[in-house]
Amino acid sequence: MKKWRQQVKKWLANQLELPADVVMDLPRITMIGHIHIYIENHRGLLTFSDKELRLLLKQGQLLVRGEEFVIKTILPEEILLEGKIQQVVYLDQ
Amino acid sequence: MKNTWAHFFTGSVQVTIQGRGTERLVNACLRNGMTVWNVRKIGEDKLTFFMLLKDVPRLRPIVRQSECKLSFGRRSGFPFLLKKTFANFGFLLGIFLFLAVVFLLSNMVWGVHVQGAKPETEHRILKELKQMGVEKGAFQFLLDPPEIIQKKLTDRIDTLTWVGVELRGTTFYFQVVEKKQPKEPEQIPIRHLVAKKKAVITDLFVEEGQPLVSVHDHVEKGQLLVSGIIGKEGQTKFVPAKGKIFGETWYKSTVVLPLEAVFHVFTGKYVEKHYLSIQSFAIPVWGFQKLSFAHYETESQKRPLRFWKWELPIVYERVIYRETEQVKRSYSWNEAFQQAKKIARKELQAKLDDDASIKDEKVLHAEKENGKVKVEMYYEVHENIAQPQPIVQGD
Repeated sequence: MKKWRQQVKKWLANQLELPADVVMDLPRITMIGHIHIYIENHRGLLTFSDKELRLLLKQGQLLVRGEEFVIKTILPEEILLEGKIQQVVYLDQ
Repeated sequence: MKNTWAHFFTGSVQVTIQGRGTERLVNACLRNGMTVWNVRKIGEDKLTFFMLLKDVPRLRPIVRQSECKLSFGRRSGFPFLLKKTFANFGFLLGIFLFLAVVFLLSNMVWGVHVQGAKPETEHRILKELKQMGVEKGAFQFLLDPPEIIQKKLTDRIDTLTWVGVELRGTTFYFQVVEKKQPKEPEQIPIRHLVAKKKAVITDLFVEEGQPLVSVHDHVEKGQLLVSGIIGKEGQTKFVPAKGKIFGETWYKSTVVLPLEAVFHVFTGKYVEKHYLSIQSFAIPVWGFQKLSFAHYETESQKRPLRFWKWELPIVYERVIYRETEQVKRSYSWNEAFQQAKKIARKELQAKLDDDASIKDEKVLHAEKENGKVKVEMYYEVHENIAQPQPIVQGD
């Protein structure tokens, strides 16, 4: 049932040319070079250190690796991370 | 994203949490709608972030539910600034005092300038202004507005046609237009005109009175020239005799001029030094260079310093050292002779009135003795020889 709903949403996004993050509740990630990363639509902070940030998403997790991390701003659904970003990894669960 | 300067007014505080599940605590904070920024991990289980001061009471229950310890770090923003300001209110007092002083000083009158008035009118204006309170050191807000001052001035001083009163910053400017009043005719007492010295009359110009001499007459000193008694005998009238009687007079003058002379002249170079002196002890304030002049003259100006209305025992002294130079002048005999003649003429001209003229000059005698030139000159001058002599009535 859930899979089917997801399928419909994907089809809708494709056919109506709607932005995928709005229709499918996916995170929108904006990076400015390797110094800023701005993530919208996350579901909470899992772990945070100066080398690693793990965020809960609606499906799976997002892992950001790098150095000298500072969370400049954090809101319930948005986060702005500053530092030297090296990797952005999706983890499926 | 939030404007960080908006946090300034509400005040913000740095929070450090230590323990297990620091991330969970942050999530809980967010869920409660608190604003959190600059999150930083500073140790294995230590997290620090900034939050708004007004959110602190809501933080406490959340911390109690978690397994973390809470401590507060740097506080910044307006509420803390206010607290600090009250803690050292001496500064605050100083700032306000300073502002008050600046306010008072900028509301004082620092100068009164009167333009376009004769000295005596200016003096009267200044006196009137003083009576109105317009003087150095008066407060502007206690004075009448310029229009009223203008009206009062024109009312009180009758020799004024118009006064422009302008307050520019802290200075009053008065632009004065005076009435042109006709001159009162001079009251001359009745008098004769007599000869100032021995002369031969060359020209007569009598305005009033009875002339008793004519051109080419030889007159002696004190001789009556124009009589102040006019009219036929028996019907005489006294008048102030007026007029100019030009006569040829003679002058003799002797000038002695050394052929060689030594002068001290200023070279134009000078050094200024400034001192503050208490009694006889002088502290140099400005001008520390050494004097390089071989000959110089000193000139010093002293001015006592004042505080409010008292004179302080400290005196400000300005000393000017002017370099001098010796100049030797030497004339040849001929030059000296010419120079002496010039000097003699100048000396005579300085003695004579403006309407006198030198008609002729003759060298009576010129000689050289002991390195000096001695010249004796003889001048023929046309000048006004009339001199008033009051008539004493009842003679």
